[in-house]
Amino acid sequence: MPLTYPVKAVVIISLVLLAGAVFVTLRPGGGTQVFAEETTVIRVAGSTTVLPIVSRAAERFQARHALVKIIVNAGGSGVGIHGVGTRRFDIGLASREITLKEKHRYASSHLQITVIGRDAVACVVSSEVFHGGVRALSKQQIRDIYLGNITNWRQVGGPDRPIIVIDKEVHRGTRHVFMQYLFGKSNARAPGARLVTGSNNEEQAKIAQSDSAIGMLSIAWINDEVVGIGIRDGERVIQPTLDNVRTGRFPIARNLNLITAGEPQGAVKQFIDYLLSEDGQKRVAESGYIPIQLPHTVSWVAGSHSK
Amino acid sequence: MNKQPLFPERGPAFWLTGLAAAISAGTIGLLFVSLVVESVPVFKSEGVSFLWGTDWFAGEVYGALPMIYGSLMVTGLAVVMVLPFALGSAILTSEFLSGRVRLVVKAAMELLAGVPGILYGLMGIALLAVWVRDLFGLIDGNTLFTAGLLLAVMILPTVMTLAEDALRAVPGETRDTALSLGLTRMETVMQVVVPQALPGLAGAVFLGLGRAMGETIAVMLVIGGIDRIPQPWFDLFASGQNIPSKIGREAAEALGFDLQWSALIALGLVLFVMVMTLTTAGHFLLRKAR
Amino acid sequence: MNPRLWKERATILILYGLTGCGCLVLAVILTTVIMKGAPALSGEFLFEESRNFGSEGGIFYQMIGTLILMAGAAIVCLPVALGSVLFQTEFLHSPPLKKMFRFLIYSLNAVPTIIFGLIGYLFFGVLLDAGVSWVTGVLILAVMILPTLHVSIHEAVESIPDHYREAGLALGLSPGQQMRAVILPQSMYGMVTGTLLGLARAAGETAAIMFTATAFSGVQLPQSWTEPVTTLQTHILVLAQEATNPKALTHAWGAGLVLLTLVFILISVTLWIRSGMEMEAER
Repeated sequence: MPLTYPVKAVVIISLVLLAGAVFVTLRPGGGTQVFAEETTVIRVAGSTTVLPIVSRAAERFQARHALVKIIVNAGGSGVGIHGVGTRRFDIGLASREITLKEKHRYASSHLQITVIGRDAVACVVSSEVFHGGVRALSKQQIRDIYLGNITNWRQVGGPDRPIIVIDKEVHRGTRHVFMQYLFGKSNARAPGARLVTGSNNEEQAKIAQSDSAIGMLSIAWINDEVVGIGIRDGERVIQPTLDNVRTGRFPIARNLNLITAGEPQGAVKQFIDYLLSEDGQKRVAESGYIPIQLPHTVSWVAGSHSK
Repeated sequence: MNKQPLFPERGPAFWLTGLAAAISAGTIGLLFVSLVVESVPVFKSEGVSFLWGTDWFAGEVYGALPMIYGSLMVTGLAVVMVLPFALGSAILTSEFLSGRVRLVVKAAMELLAGVPGILYGLMGIALLAVWVRDLFGLIDGNTLFTAGLLLAVMILPTVMTLAEDALRAVPGETRDTALSLGLTRMETVMQVVVPQALPGLAGAVFLGLGRAMGETIAVMLVIGGIDRIPQPWFDLFASGQNIPSKIGREAAEALGFDLQWSALIALGLVLFVMVMTLTTAGHFLLRKAR
Repeated sequence: MNPRLWKERATILILYGLTGCGCLVLAVILTTVIMKGAPALSGEFLFEESRNFGSEGGIFYQMIGTLILMAGAAIVCLPVALGSVLFQTEFLHSPPLKKMFRFLIYSLNAVPTIIFGLIGYLFFGVLLDAGVSWVTGVLILAVMILPTLHVSIHEAVESIPDHYREAGLALGLSPGQQMRAVILPQSMYGMVTGTLLGLARAAGETAAIMFTATAFSGVQLPQSWTEPVTTLQTHILVLAQEATNPKALTHAWGAGLVLLTLVFILISVTLWIRSGMEMEAER
């Protein structure tokens, strides 16, 4: 088959495009320098709860420090901790503590935690359920729902509809904290679960889409469609408000952590310092969490802070 | 002019292209070998019960049965749902439509076969899951059925094109003979052409099955993500999990991470074996048809 | 009337119905993507970077990321595919070896793409220590599209009439010269169509690159071998999980429309070339 017109056209056009692309990226003198040596790259990944804070802060930080590039990824607390432990990331984001197992596994990396804020995990329901009468649940009731013992909303004072129990992927920080509160262990099973979601975004979307769902979500993600219910403790009902978290009354609270291998240094330290500064802490508040008062670096392990 | 090279078959062309061929073959071989080698740890730890264990909890126990079941169920659903439409349009296009229209249809199918999986996933999560929930009065639309339906639409172009090719491959004389014996066109098609083309048609279906079984992203977003076999097992409107979706959800967490990583690769190996069986059967049938 | 005639009419009607349903579904898909995606398209969308988790800004760097991975994969894959085909057709003479080679290529085509991601990460990410980067992505995609290019080029080379080769041999050409003078020019169209199809396949692939080559934010143009990129496909994936945020969703559809257009252009050009070839053949 000879070289017909369409084939020639395609080949020529692609070569031109390719040449153009190469020229644009490797523009001699001025413009972007490919493979520049001076830029420092900070790789951050992990919890989707901490992500909004870091994303916002990174935008501002990079605007002020032209030679620093911050690459942010989601993935969940497990990914963040594991990534820092294996030196794949510079900063891991975690919305839970490091487990004993993880501490042992990454002992050689000397994992260090810097707390940049506080958050609470609320038990959330679809807005229709809330408006249908379910304003608060006791710990036992939530436990029974996740175990599959309670299956209809009317059993807890709501509308006559089956409960869609939404669980999270096992390595997610939000799940660790929630399960720790409900069952005393972060890796508890939830046989009553109907769906499994990953990031906070996904869970929020699924609960909003449904009209009879229950799930676990950071309070920063609560909105009109996804309502946080109060926890009934005997006679009292504790609402998931920032105040209750600040004063320690809300039982399912957690630190928002940055994990590094060893003490933060260089550009990483600069970025973390920024997050702990007044401007950085404003980003924490902006994202819906509670800023911490003092900057402090603590190295600890789950168990010393269990609720 | 040109000297006769000392070793006619061993000139630079030989070495260059040989290198390329070695790279190809080597890469493919390495892929298969690593699938097996990397799966060994989890099989050592769980034994063969990896294949029929029903519990999967990262860090503790790894049982793949719910995922295998999900893969089979979802793919089975996809095939059952796509069959009438793919075969129907293949028969219509190959036997009853004129040449120009047929070319247009074939071109359209090629375009549609190229639609990226993520777009199907987007449509699934934003539209299909909601429709399924409302249509069937379910409490939630993320089910095995939804995934099967989405896959059926995805493989429709592929199965249809291959089936159409298989029908066209039946020689014209067969049709002429049948018509001359007094059969109507439809009877010719249904009772003569289709049976003749059966190996090719089956091949088309198998290849479509292979593609459906391997699709990750579209399924991941609508299947529900629960590592459980539904109760009862034939409840299509329950949420579930299949192999590619499971790997997709846990891979980022388990990157290189000893036992969990090995478990995911072992899942991949199981999937690979299943898909290979289907595709090899499909190719074999297609070649028999020629 | 004749019952056989009724059966005939009825069956044809059913077939038309089935075909109509199939076409309808596919038409619905296209119109949905176009209608939901068009509102998102604007100059800002196409040329700005994404902000605020994708619900603001645009998809500029996502498009570049997809293009980088696609083009890189094709550039890496083409020489290898071409060389393998030529080796197979010119130097491999024993039928069992030929069969084995074909079997290898077909089985590679059948591998579910998520497995490419898993094993590819193991080799390119860990062993070669490229980590999660565009290089890892390019290599993984190159392996993935190898069968596509291989089959296309192979068909083209096989369809070169024997007398062309015989003429070459009669002139005393060595295999290398034969390739350069006869085979390559005659199979150029196969290389082009194969590459285009491979590009289309790479553009649509999400599973293999989502945890091996991409990052969520902070990436613009990769400035080293080991930096990740952001792509249209993974961007849509992230946005799809915010299914109740209408702005994010519109952006997802918009990105989807851009991706779909890209893939369709590639495939259409392939079809155009192929139809040109068929017309040549009929002459």
